[in-house]
Amino acid sequence: MQTQVNQTSNNIIVTENLGKSVVTSEGTLHILSSIDLIIKSGESIAIVGESGSGKSTLISLLAGLDTPSTGSISINGKQLTSMNEDGRAALRNELIGFVFQSFQLLHSLTALENVMLPLELSGDKHAKAAATALLHRVGLSHRLTHTPKQLSGGEQQRVALARAFVTKPAILFADEPTGNLDSKTGATIVDLLFELNLENHTTLILVTHDHTLAARCQRTIQLDSGCMV
Amino acid sequence: MSRFNLALRLLWRDSRTGELTILILALVIAVTSSTAIALFSDRMKRTMTNQTAEFLAADLVIESPAPVPAEWLAKAMKLDLAQARTADFSSVLIEHDELLLAGIKAVSAAYPLRGFLKTTTGDYLTETITRNGPEKGTAWVEKRILPALKLNLGDPLTVGEKQLTISNIISYEPDKKGDFYSFSPRVMINDADLQATGIVQPGSHVHYFFQFTGEPKALAEFKRWLKPQLNPSQRILDINEDRPELGSALERAERYLGLSSIAVILISGVAIAMATRRYTERHFNATALLRCLGCKQNEILWLYSSQFVVLGLVASAVGCLLGWFAQEALFHLLRGLLPQQIASPGLLAVFFGFIIGMAVLLGFALPPLLRLKQVSPLRVLRRELEPLPSSAWLIYGLSLGIIGILIWKYTGDLKMTASILGTGLMTLLALGLLIYGLLNLTRKLLPSMSLTWRFGLQGLFRNSRASVSQILAFSLTLVAMVLSFTVRTDLIDNWQNQLPNNAPNHFALNIFPAQRAAFQQELQLQHITGSQFFPVVRGRLVEINHTPVQQIVSKDTQGENATHRELSLTWTKELPEENKIVAGSWWNNQQAGLVSVEQKLAESLKIKLGDLLKFTVGSQQINATVTSIRKLRWDTMKPNFYMIFSPGTLDAYPSTFITSFYLPEPQKNMLNTLVKKYPGTTILEVDFILQQFKTILAQLTQAINYLLYFALMAGFAVLFAAVYATLDNRIYEGALMRTLGANRSLLRKTHIIEFSMLGLISGLLAVVISEAIIYALYTQVMDMEYRPSLYLWAVIPCTGALFVGMAGCWGVRHVLNKSSLRILREQY
Ligand SMILES: Nc1ncnc2c1ncn2[C@@H]1O[C@H](COP(=O)(O)OP(=O)(O)O)[C@@H](O)[C@H]1O
Ligand SMILES: [Mg+2]
Repeated sequence: MQTQVNQTSNNIIVTENLGKSVVTSEGTLHILSSIDLIIKSGESIAIVGESGSGKSTLISLLAGLDTPSTGSISINGKQLTSMNEDGRAALRNELIGFVFQSFQLLHSLTALENVMLPLELSGDKHAKAAATALLHRVGLSHRLTHTPKQLSGGEQQRVALARAFVTKPAILFADEPTGNLDSKTGATIVDLLFELNLENHTTLILVTHDHTLAARCQRTIQLDSGCMV
Repeated sequence: MSRFNLALRLLWRDSRTGELTILILALVIAVTSSTAIALFSDRMKRTMTNQTAEFLAADLVIESPAPVPAEWLAKAMKLDLAQARTADFSSVLIEHDELLLAGIKAVSAAYPLRGFLKTTTGDYLTETITRNGPEKGTAWVEKRILPALKLNLGDPLTVGEKQLTISNIISYEPDKKGDFYSFSPRVMINDADLQATGIVQPGSHVHYFFQFTGEPKALAEFKRWLKPQLNPSQRILDINEDRPELGSALERAERYLGLSSIAVILISGVAIAMATRRYTERHFNATALLRCLGCKQNEILWLYSSQFVVLGLVASAVGCLLGWFAQEALFHLLRGLLPQQIASPGLLAVFFGFIIGMAVLLGFALPPLLRLKQVSPLRVLRRELEPLPSSAWLIYGLSLGIIGILIWKYTGDLKMTASILGTGLMTLLALGLLIYGLLNLTRKLLPSMSLTWRFGLQGLFRNSRASVSQILAFSLTLVAMVLSFTVRTDLIDNWQNQLPNNAPNHFALNIFPAQRAAFQQELQLQHITGSQFFPVVRGRLVEINHTPVQQIVSKDTQGENATHRELSLTWTKELPEENKIVAGSWWNNQQAGLVSVEQKLAESLKIKLGDLLKFTVGSQQINATVTSIRKLRWDTMKPNFYMIFSPGTLDAYPSTFITSFYLPEPQKNMLNTLVKKYPGTTILEVDFILQQFKTILAQLTQAINYLLYFALMAGFAVLFAAVYATLDNRIYEGALMRTLGANRSLLRKTHIIEFSMLGLISGLLAVVISEAIIYALYTQVMDMEYRPSLYLWAVIPCTGALFVGMAGCWGVRHVLNKSSLRILREQY
């Protein structure tokens, strides 16, 4: 699928005064406050910070999985904040890919079917060919019909990578993609991630604890108690 | 299209992993049982209607003193109804200087449309069954005519002006009217000879019976079309009106079948709801991922509901097929009991089962399924985010709606349905609160309990919402099962009491007062048990409180029937057994001029206590004041009377006596002696009818037993659905506890305690509700007497605790066996 990147501006994500707070039994909890970000198309960005500092919350807002309490986000020139949930879903399908710490594959589907899933959801006729090619690319061409339960953690994450890239997303969000893997497997996944990123000119937004991993990105954003430092 | 493929693929994979097993099972049970019941009761009903229709020799009969307009018959022809005609009249036969008043019946070629005739040419033993009446030029006569007129088979017999040949002795005709007193020996002739007898002339007293059979719909339409055109001297007979004792047995059985069917559907529905709930919860993650990948809310809903529709179609189809086989098997099992001719299965009933399947799925699975639409895509990052539970209004509203429609379909009574649903809803609400209260109370006691008990009971409180719904589900299931079981037992007992083995099977009428003592002695001598001897005077009710009855009665009612003919009036000092005073009081002193009226007739004629009734007996008139209203059982095969007078009121009028007695088959010869000794007395044999009636009851009993199995199966589906509903959580917690050092025996005990408590509480509640419902049901719907059953109070809670406890332990056995590390990993 061809991604339509706004040509007049090179900024793919722009946030202004972005904040998130929730009301709990102990009063209002400010998880994120006044985040101003400009992310250029093709950039790779690492978000680092302690556990609980709001990293996941930030990417959930940027990806349109959640709505901010204050401020605005525009993706590719479109105001996320003025869209409804279905609009954001369409946008996710069109522009955004995800990789998660816990892989998040559908257990009842095979590796191939998991990778085909996002294409099928957007009605792509050539889902199978594209998915097979990408699984080949991540080195799993011999495991197409295996279900997640039959795959190791590293293999599952590779399927997840193939699924994330199969739609050729403009932006890829990765939330601690190596968090559930041993360091060696983690390293191969990270290599694969950066290779695919380069091949596809994807904007990469990566959440990590790992400073060496963060160093491989062009820019690092440090979060502390919901604020950029 | 690829979305639909995806849906199919997900469905296929889920069903292969066993994810959908309980759901499918519950659905198949619901559809199987409702198809089987619908098919079975439809066929049974039509078979029985056919059988009972034999009593009328047709499905519908118009009784008229004159031939009916030709356009009526044309209308029946247009509706594809088969037609036959009989003309009944009395005529005096004279042969060999002997005189006899006979009941002549001229029958058309198609007679009888239902049932058959029995004839014999010699003794009682070699009877032939025929489906047509006598041929032109011949006459069939009842046996007692031959000696009375000094005739033999083959002799000529002159009816009116027409000479016929006696070709057969007739021993049974299906539509012999039970009006015992106008009973004179039968001569059956062909309709083609009717004109030639010259008896039928304007003004002569002939009863025409125009008989019809055909499709129920066509019959109903015919009846509707006909009703407004009837003149006051004409009336329509159909089975329910003409044979009250069979009508009521049929009606009760039908209600029971309907009720059980609803119970099975309700139980399966509960299982479906619980299984869908689990399915939903297990699909939160997948749904969140799909949402994250860009699925819109409606697409999610579409994805899952299309899966459920496919599932529903497949399961319903399987259920229909199984239902078909179940029903066939049942008929096969009962073939010894059933008549040869069984009505064919109706396709409509199969379709009904299918509709039920889809409706149950919609009513019980949709609300939990709708929750998936609400899953937030954010769940991919924050696993603890759960969608709001579906609104209780939706959950209960939809399922109640479906059940309501079903109840309405079976009862056909909107008001009753509303009141049943209303009460049901209130009970549910009250129950929910009660369970919460109970749980809270136990929670207070927790700290003082041992570790095992604390852990076990905590399982109930941890998710009190789930516990409440589980308890509700178990209670409902138990209630439905208790209801099916109790009603069945009482229904069958009731029938057996109604017709004990030695229920009278013969009536003796027209016993002259002078012969009464001798007759009674004769019976005693042969050790034959009989009922009381009632004096009978024939009379007609003409006025109520000085208003002619014709102005009071409405068309087509019992009251109308009763005022159109002479009634049998009797008097007695004691209230006859099986009669019950419902208003006023029985006379204690010997005051003449009082009358006790049967309840239904009183209702129909709007007779109240203290009303003054005027009767004509012969050319004289008598007045009597109503002092009591009686309820009586028409189905006891004992002489029953609409009007009973106080002694002294009727004594001056000429009367005969009536009694009924039980004559066992081997003693049948005794009849000949009686007939010879008391020629004026008429013996009416009802043993054949009685046998038929008993057969029908036996059939019903069998069918009803069979139904219980469905309820039982559905009950097990609920049991497992409920256990599985919280299984994931339990397995996870169990694994956690084991890693923290809890040993297997502690875990096992906590599970036993938790589930047994669930079962115990459910059982207790179930008893309370079922007793309430049984009470309401018996007094309002089934017209039976309510007796509280103490043993239920002990049995049900124990059974509940036992079964739920066992099923629960079986369901969570993995907690004990699986490696805890694997469980904790898988859970992530
Ligand atoms: N809906 C919510 N309700 C309450 N607290 C929340 C909610 N969402 C996030 N939090 C809290 O906000 C903080 C940040 O969470 P998160 O973004 O997941 O941190 P990170 O990913 O950096 O570990 C945590 O303390 C978390 O508990
Ligand atoms: Mg996080």
